Amino acid sequence: MSTKNIEFVIPPRPAHFVGDGFKVHNFIPSSHYLSMQRMSPFIMMDYNAPTYFPPTNTPRGVGVHPHRGFETVTIAYKGKVAHHDSSGNSGIIEPGEVQWMTAASGILHKEYHEKKFSEEGGDFQMVQLWVNLPAKDKMSQPKYQGLTKSDIQTVILPNNAGTINVIAGDYLGTKGAASTFTPIYLLDGKLNDGGIANFTFPSNYNTAVLVIEGEVKVNNSEVTPTDHFILMNNDGENFTVEGIGNAKILVLSGEPINEPIAAQGPFVMNTREEIMQAIQDYNIGKFGFLED
Amino acid sequence: MEEFYNYLSDSLSKSEIDQLSKFLVEKRIGKGEILLQAGSVCNHSFFVEEGLLRSFSIDKQGKEHVIQFAPENWIISDRSSLLFQEPSEFFIDAVENTTLIMFDEEFVVKASELSAKYRSFNQKALNNHIRHQQRRINRLLSATAEERYLNFIQLYPNITLRVPQWMIASYLGITPESLSRVRKELARKNFIPG
Repeated sequence: MSTKNIEFVIPPRPAHFVGDGFKVHNFIPSSHYLSMQRMSPFIMMDYNAPTYFPPTNTPRGVGVHPHRGFETVTIAYKGKVAHHDSSGNSGIIEPGEVQWMTAASGILHKEYHEKKFSEEGGDFQMVQLWVNLPAKDKMSQPKYQGLTKSDIQTVILPNNAGTINVIAGDYLGTKGAASTFTPIYLLDGKLNDGGIANFTFPSNYNTAVLVIEGEVKVNNSEVTPTDHFILMNNDGENFTVEGIGNAKILVLSGEPINEPIAAQGPFVMNTREEIMQAIQDYNIGKFGFLED
Repeated sequence: MEEFYNYLSDSLSKSEIDQLSKFLVEKRIGKGEILLQAGSVCNHSFFVEEGLLRSFSIDKQGKEHVIQFAPENWIISDRSSLLFQEPSEFFIDAVENTTLIMFDEEFVVKASELSAKYRSFNQKALNNHIRHQQRRINRLLSATAEERYLNFIQLYPNITLRVPQWMIASYLGITPESLSRVRKELARKNFIPG
């Protein structure tokens, strides 16, 4: 087993708004080094770094829109998001919770700041990931996994190093809460000052660490500041992350899906024809119904 | 300017376009920014390079009525205000961050002086605009909600992904609930657009 080295440390791009409720730094796919193919199966990552939203009676967010061909994963750190979709699922994602929505053959959904959070205002911090589906599963039935704190197991690291919440995959024998279509690791880590976590993933898995809070050192190299994205090379299996002060990290690793990608807006398929079909199906109501 | 130059290249040569370029202004505006305010005179036409504009009116109850969407390669303006120099009844704003080319009537006059081909091109564009408006009036008076919607997705196949449902309903002169019903019915019939 050899060391997995850092390929690049990528600073956050300028933040932009998604709807009026999410002020995000996009890493995948707009960063030069983070194309959909390079980070497959992770084809999109938006990070809403902590942002204060003042009180309002009109909840901010994103109105009704479709998705087909992949899964959306929302990880809440601060603030609350209310969600509704055309399959009849709805819920509130609270800090520490994860929503894993499989759009697959097609779904309409909308996401808004939760009513009470909107009225009171406050800090908001979230990650949204899009996880691609293999061609054979792109047109499967939509499904929804709302993962609460009690669903997500926590591993306590030795030597008071910190904790790892296992959202997907496994960590030191503890299984993740989410069921996934392809092998994926998604680990929400908290490191104490000087605490070290060890990670091992197959070398071909596309792997990265997002620094959510504080600073870290990967493989005892230079210090990486908050909001930076550490892209790991596909040259080995093992790496370490050390907290410099208290730190929070999100570690993602997944087996690449080596299939063609055709993407337009909210649809990610394998061919142009499938994209045109998705637009047509959406236009004629095949994604179901949801009021604005 | 690239798309606008392509648009003009059928009727104007490269050197003619170069001579006219001083009448063109490229502008980038953010989502929600207003290009034309009702009550003011419209002095420009707007060609969309990238993004999406719309024109709309606001009635006495404060309700918006969408007149036109202008995605890439469309031109949007208020011709009555532009040509008769009277206050406009309409607003034009950006539905998305938009890069556009602004041109005024002086550009049209100069281009027409330079090129007979442009004159006939511009005449055809005007006639096409009138044809479109007449058909739109007729559909609003006589077509069913489903017919209006099917025509809409033929005219603007990708816009449904870019604007909220209420804006589409507003363009069609129906309620958002009717739009949902129309889509539900099309899905039930397994409708295949021709």
